[in-house]
Amino acid sequence: MDFVELEAIEGLRWTWNSWPSSKADQSALVIPLAVMCTPLMQQAELPLLPYDPVTCSQCAAVLNPYARVEYTSRLWFCSLCLHKNAFPHSYSNIGDTNLPAELFPTYSSVEYSRPSSSSPPPPPTPTPSRTWSNGGRLSSSSSSLSSMVSSSPKNISGPDDPRAIRPAFVMVVDVATPRDELVALKNELLLVLEQLPETALVGLVTFDSMVRVHDLEFSECSRVVVLHGDRELSPLQIQKFLGIYRPKQQQLGKMPFSQKQGFLLPVSECEFNISTAIEEIQSSVVKPGQRPGRSTGAAISAAVGLLEGCLVSTGSRVMVFMSGPATIGPGIIVDPDLGYSIRTHRDLINGHAPYYSKSCSFYGQVSQRLTDACIVLDLFACSLDQAGSAELKDPVERSGGFMMLGESFESNEFRKCLRHIFTRDEEGYLKMYFDATIEIVTTKDVKICGALGPCVSLRKVNSLVSSSEIGEGGTYAWKLGTITNKTCIAFFFEVSDAHKVQLGSAFFIQFITRYRHGNMGIRKRVTTAARRWVGNRSAEIAAGFDQETAASVIARLAIHRAETCFARDVIRWLDDTLIQFASQFGDYVEEDPSSFRLASNFSIFPQFMYYLRRSQFIDVFNSSPDETAFFRLMLNREGVVGSLIMIQPTLLQYCFDGPPIPVLLDVRSISPDVILLFDSYFHVVIHYGSKIAQWRKLGYDKDPNHENLRKLLEAPEIDAQQLVADRAPAPKLIRCDQHGSQARFLLAKLNPSVTQNSTYTNGSDIILTDDLSLQVFLDHLQGLAVQG
Amino acid sequence: MAAFVPPPGAPRPNNNSNTPPPPPPNYNAQRYPDSLSDNMQNLNLNRQQQPPIMPNAAPRPSPFGQPPPFPGASAPYSRPGPPSARPAAPPQGTFPPGTAAVRPTGPPPGQSSPFGSRPPPPGSFPPGVAPTPAPASSPFQRTGMPSGQVSMPPAPSSGPGPFSGGQAVPPTGAPGRMSNGPPAFGSGAVPGGPRFPPPGNLSQPLVGPPPPPTSVAPPRTPTMHSVLGGPTPPGSIAQQAPPFSSGPQGMRPPPPGSPYSPQSWPMQQGQVPPPPQFPGSAPPPQYPGSSPPPQYPGSAQPPRMYGMPPQPLPNQSMTTISSAGSQTGTPVGSSKIDPNQIPRPGPSSSVLLHETRQGNQANPPPPATSDYIVRDNGNCSPRYMRCTINQIPCTADFLTTSGMPLALLVEPFALTHPSEEPIQVVDFGESGPVRCSRCKGYINPFMKFIDQGRQFICNLCGFTDETPRDYHCNLGPDGRRRDADDRPELCRGTVEFVASKEYMVRDPMPAVYFFLIDVSMNAIQTGATAAACSAIHQVIADLPEGPRTMVGIATFDSTIHFYSLKRVEQPLMLIVPDVQDVYTPLETDVVVQLSKCRQHLEDLLGRIPTMFQTSKTAESAFGAAIKAAFLAIKSTGGKLLVFQSVLPSTGIGALSAREAEGRANISSTEKEPNKLLQPVDKTLKTLAIEFAEYQVCVDLFITTQSYMDIASISVIPRTTGGQVYYYYPFSAVTDPAKLYNDLRWNVTRPQGFEAVMRVRCSQGIQVQEYFGNFCKRIPTDVDLPGIDCDKTIMVTLKHDDKLQDGSECSFQCAVLYTTLYGQRRIRVITLSLPCTSMLSNLFRAADLDTQFSCYMKQATNEITSSPLVRVREQMTNLCISSLLSYRKFCATVSSSGQLILPEALKLLPLYTLALIKSTGLRTDGKIDERSFWINHVFSLSVPLAVPLVYPRMVAVHNLDIKKDGDESPIPPVIPLSSEHVSDDGIYLLENGEDCLIYIGSLVDSGTLQQLFGVNTADELPTQFVLQQHDNSLSKKLNDVVNEIRRQRCSYLRMKLCKKGDPSGAFFLSHLVEDQSPHGPSYVEFLVHVHRQIQIKMAS
Repeated sequence: MDFVELEAIEGLRWTWNSWPSSKADQSALVIPLAVMCTPLMQQAELPLLPYDPVTCSQCAAVLNPYARVEYTSRLWFCSLCLHKNAFPHSYSNIGDTNLPAELFPTYSSVEYSRPSSSSPPPPPTPTPSRTWSNGGRLSSSSSSLSSMVSSSPKNISGPDDPRAIRPAFVMVVDVATPRDELVALKNELLLVLEQLPETALVGLVTFDSMVRVHDLEFSECSRVVVLHGDRELSPLQIQKFLGIYRPKQQQLGKMPFSQKQGFLLPVSECEFNISTAIEEIQSSVVKPGQRPGRSTGAAISAAVGLLEGCLVSTGSRVMVFMSGPATIGPGIIVDPDLGYSIRTHRDLINGHAPYYSKSCSFYGQVSQRLTDACIVLDLFACSLDQAGSAELKDPVERSGGFMMLGESFESNEFRKCLRHIFTRDEEGYLKMYFDATIEIVTTKDVKICGALGPCVSLRKVNSLVSSSEIGEGGTYAWKLGTITNKTCIAFFFEVSDAHKVQLGSAFFIQFITRYRHGNMGIRKRVTTAARRWVGNRSAEIAAGFDQETAASVIARLAIHRAETCFARDVIRWLDDTLIQFASQFGDYVEEDPSSFRLASNFSIFPQFMYYLRRSQFIDVFNSSPDETAFFRLMLNREGVVGSLIMIQPTLLQYCFDGPPIPVLLDVRSISPDVILLFDSYFHVVIHYGSKIAQWRKLGYDKDPNHENLRKLLEAPEIDAQQLVADRAPAPKLIRCDQHGSQARFLLAKLNPSVTQNSTYTNGSDIILTDDLSLQVFLDHLQGLAVQG
Repeated sequence: MAAFVPPPGAPRPNNNSNTPPPPPPNYNAQRYPDSLSDNMQNLNLNRQQQPPIMPNAAPRPSPFGQPPPFPGASAPYSRPGPPSARPAAPPQGTFPPGTAAVRPTGPPPGQSSPFGSRPPPPGSFPPGVAPTPAPASSPFQRTGMPSGQVSMPPAPSSGPGPFSGGQAVPPTGAPGRMSNGPPAFGSGAVPGGPRFPPPGNLSQPLVGPPPPPTSVAPPRTPTMHSVLGGPTPPGSIAQQAPPFSSGPQGMRPPPPGSPYSPQSWPMQQGQVPPPPQFPGSAPPPQYPGSSPPPQYPGSAQPPRMYGMPPQPLPNQSMTTISSAGSQTGTPVGSSKIDPNQIPRPGPSSSVLLHETRQGNQANPPPPATSDYIVRDNGNCSPRYMRCTINQIPCTADFLTTSGMPLALLVEPFALTHPSEEPIQVVDFGESGPVRCSRCKGYINPFMKFIDQGRQFICNLCGFTDETPRDYHCNLGPDGRRRDADDRPELCRGTVEFVASKEYMVRDPMPAVYFFLIDVSMNAIQTGATAAACSAIHQVIADLPEGPRTMVGIATFDSTIHFYSLKRVEQPLMLIVPDVQDVYTPLETDVVVQLSKCRQHLEDLLGRIPTMFQTSKTAESAFGAAIKAAFLAIKSTGGKLLVFQSVLPSTGIGALSAREAEGRANISSTEKEPNKLLQPVDKTLKTLAIEFAEYQVCVDLFITTQSYMDIASISVIPRTTGGQVYYYYPFSAVTDPAKLYNDLRWNVTRPQGFEAVMRVRCSQGIQVQEYFGNFCKRIPTDVDLPGIDCDKTIMVTLKHDDKLQDGSECSFQCAVLYTTLYGQRRIRVITLSLPCTSMLSNLFRAADLDTQFSCYMKQATNEITSSPLVRVREQMTNLCISSLLSYRKFCATVSSSGQLILPEALKLLPLYTLALIKSTGLRTDGKIDERSFWINHVFSLSVPLAVPLVYPRMVAVHNLDIKKDGDESPIPPVIPLSSEHVSDDGIYLLENGEDCLIYIGSLVDSGTLQQLFGVNTADELPTQFVLQQHDNSLSKKLNDVVNEIRRQRCSYLRMKLCKKGDPSGAFFLSHLVEDQSPHGPSYVEFLVHVHRQIQIKMAS
């Protein structure tokens, strides 16, 4: 079965679809056993079950189609741990002809939705209390989570006012933004405000060198609490300063949320005040010769403190809109004096970025607070220079937040992003899923190593957790501040040698994703996947290799490594891996490079690695630290398809001869009479060959006699719009002509098969570079692979 | 008088020669009870509207705004006006010694000698008192004094003239005769030297009183150099008597001569004197007592007197008090002093004309408390700077011997009389004023030009400098530069230079006013916040106009709330919650030009009280708030006006209610310094020094109902040149008006910013220490972020060398400051005084008011660090030591039984006693009240020092018994003794801060109805607001109160005291002459002093 089709059903992509049964065999695979999981992938047929799942009392796995069911005795055997469980009362009618949806063999994924307390529970719903007591392990583990997690079950089962559970949004606005920019930003914010549900809580924090938390309740005048941007305040201090601090004891008391505070209010109560406040924001004055004072770190900290203090732990976003680097206080990026330039990669490598590590550690703490309070940090940085996203990457990534780097708040990209975030589903709920946890339950021979993606390990250990960690490891459960349909996480596994497994038998991995839906109800999506154990060297292993997935998994590992290592070490590691891989799976005669062959389902992998090596993810030479952070952050959450585009952009050629065709990502694909559509995920470039460009300049496309030229010009535009439409943040669309300066976006990614050193150019464009071309790379690979 | 020729060069705006000085603008006009504020408005004297030329020229109403001193009636005297150099007596331009004519107007025929002033028949005195004293006193008469002598010597008979005026109009009539004037003259000036041929001798004749029966008398006479002699014909005395009778209280009669003449008070043991006969005896009482009118001898005279070149007078005026049995040398406890004869301050008088120099000699200034017009002809006006002794002792030992302090009291921005010439402004352009190249002293009239004007010798350091080329001018035959009279800096003791760039570290700062208002729960609930907001709201209109006026505002409770004033939309409140480590929320917009935010500011002020109405925040972060406000105005400096209502309990500089802690052992601590009077720690001091460094001046308006630890927080205003206002217990009914007026005066009074002051002295003398509200960072200069007309700085001096007898010693105070309108100026105040090595000269030149101010300041300095007992003792000893010195070295009286007082210092014992009983030196008051008192005294000016401890008391129930010819609305002053307070009277007592109205138990209900609109005292609310009712009595009372307000430049806090309840007791505690738990009675104190002197003499 095609991997892509399978993904559409399961939401999973496996590097290896058949696993060897021993640890030694596993390590021989070179490419780790990993699953790229898109937990909330949009699926055509996804049953939504209005009751709570039935779970295994031993391993907490959810009842699934692979379970063996004894209808008569109303027992079921857990497919993962083989434990015998009784069905709850509500399943008394179960029978061959009366199967609950979760047992339908076609439903490898099902979603459970606890109905909101207002509507009566549908038939096979156990009483709430029973449900949760059944899920012993789950609930007990939940209670040990952060406060928010522990409180949510209460909210569900208790008679709480559903209105008490509502998302909160705190806008953190940089007022050191130039005036025009600020006007655009304010307009966007007002639009956002209109889009928010009435019950959503909103707050407003503005900052320049001071942080101002706006009181949205006070009617006598505009009232803001000003915190000094230069001070690093503890959450407790922030709450005290805001007057929202409550001693622990009181928290246990009667009025958990009735504390009077005016900083975070439902839109319905403060719409006027917050609109006024937003409208009244004015650009702060900037001293000439200085960067504007920006206390981004303190502002974020204050916003988080506000949410913490208001005990909004059911999902909230801190949305930071900034237009430049922080220049004072915690999280400072660069000195205000323009004499100091902002850090570059070189500075980071040489240790010449005085604030970098300090700021990173500050944001590390912020990140922890975000996780604990289930807050998402979104970053919209619109600046021509760097704005300090590199330091901010950690909290954004770990909370699952959104990051956008743009040049202007007036730009379309920014507007699209913002609107994208606040889109609603058919029922009018925000398409925003907060407070997700993913739990994995596996067959006991499969051990969980860790995960790479926008998630945080909850550090919950059971017998299924491996001692070796990859990324966020040491747990079987992860937390995501927010999750989208596209969020993709790479999970890593290993085979346990402890038991002899029966070759050919199946093993199971179950992903249980619990999240808060846009309507604030809790949902659980359960995906159960089965694969087989196969013997070493069996053909099934090779057949089960998914080189695309492998490339994206390797890419995640590489960028994970790049966070802590020098780029050249990462490249070396990549090369080693590739050589090892090639020699393992290649077909060759030792010491004879020319004899080297790779099977088709392995063959593109080296090419992916080639492009990965020279991609902006690894080779940071041409990027600022901010961009690098952004690229890596995006790669780390994108699914297999998206990741591949990032690693090896696609190139389509449009010419008069026929429909568009994909062409090699090679300099030789450039030709004067074709249009190229290049998609690197972050940039979409329409590259006009010199002839076409000339024609266009001469206006032939407007000439009815040259209808075909017009069509030719239109085609890539239409396709580009499609590419751009779906992505967030929207890629930058660049139109350029051959030999134009903007063509660099394209040239930089092309395989430099023809350079200034090439003997024969065949009339092709050349790329001025000393980088090695794909051919040279592969030649070397062959040579090394066959050395044994 | 009509013909008065204005002196050539002097521009004098207001001064009309003869005609009485124009009435102070608004003053008189408005006397409506409610219009206090209005009155105060008028106070905004020197808004220097014409900065360029004569900043001060603007009319200055206030203080001096007194109604023209000269009653129409007294026309003859009126001559005050003319500043002509000559002390021309009014009538006669010159003042021939002998001319009796001068006095002209007619002394009542009856009068005898001027000196004879003793009044009347015993009968006239208040019942109780009079009798005894009279007899007793009789023996000692007080003699007519010097002044009298001066003028009169030649023709004693004529002498009376001046007084006669007074007499004629018994009580009121004579505008100011004697009161203060006298002492001064007596001692220092003793003027007449030249004029009077035989000094010593003359005097004797003068003495009116018949020789005392007791033996005492004889000694006296001899001693008395001029004094006692009082050979007033008895007859004359008799005549005088009548006046007294008229007044209910003996005091009315004008004791003309008395002031000037030394007086002796017999201390007699219960002798029964023949009352009637001794007219002499009678007078004494009045004399001191306030006979209202009597005061100044004809106005005509004073000028003369002052004008006279001081010459050593053989006769010294002195006052003796002898005990009856004195011969034995021990005044026995039983001995009695006639309370009516003991020295008391004279009544205030009509205006005197004072020339600062005459005959090329320094002219001793009139008493600080008197009303005078200064003509600056070389020395500065005594308003700006006065010395404790108007002659400088040649050596340190000599000074020590005299027992007197040597210090300058400098009030560089003192208010001037509207008739005085404004300070002239001199612009030397880029080069700046001419200065001595060695000591940097500024050019002044005492710099001596030599070598055809090519060089000049600095009068301060003696160095010879080259005259700058463009400043050169030839000398005239008299050795002066020919242009000396055209150049203010060469002929005026006070002049202002335009500062050149050299004097600026930065551009002159704008006028920045930052208001900081307490909005904690307490402040809101007591109405303090509303009062503050309303006061500010009204005062905005009085802030200087123009683009250089900036304002800012913030409120605070446990957090600090700033307001952005620039916005077009509704106001923006910016809260600074971190009160441990504060900051200011905006770089801009917090302090903005007034013209750009007036409307917003007014809106905001209207909203603030309601905005916080529901506030439950009891805490107050005062320290943090001022720090934050400071940060907001740090870049420019400016005035920070803080309205605070509760004890700062949180944030920087938080204080604890240590009063409660300390109270337990307070009673036992009279022997130890009271820690509660000291700041609790250094936090606020450090803060204050930082403020001062950035030219931020903090004024504190304390509107509270509880303990505030003023001792700690007053450090801030004190260090920054600010002021503390204390409204305790704050009342929303009575205090808002005062708050407004205080605030208004605060911003409208003449003042300067970012000032630096230094006093330079001639060689041989150097500055020892500065004392007042300022910050001192280097030893020689004091930094004054703010300086205004109410602040006085004491500068103590010490010898570092011997001075040449007969030479002059100069003192120059230079204040570099920025005006409200952003001009940098240097005000240079120069005083040159003769040096002497004669002790008698020193005593004659002693300036009691100034010396007493020194003592007070010294005492306040001690109180915080020494046990109270010791401070009191020390003050008594200071008093004793100078009297002892006088007794020992100057008085030749052999009788040890007499207490002999130098005329100039005759009131020293009384004032000392008053000081000992003052709020600050008592333990029964609230600790805050004491702290406030101490703080108040720190910067207190000389004219206000005495009244603070020795308040003025007047009767108001009989105000509408009009006395003809008395143009002052203020009735005669009553001695502070309960004997003078009767149950059927209503009295008003004021000390420049508080104004107590005391209602006796038997007051006529008609009077009550008239004054207060009630029938019995019980109906009066405790929170009393003076209102004007439609009757003349009420109107007069309001006139009196307004006049006092004007004089004191203070709105006064009105308190109603009723006999029989605690408020009555409170009132009575102000009667310092009575015996009380805080100290002995005046008589007892005199006995004590006398005994001490005798003991020391004997040892």
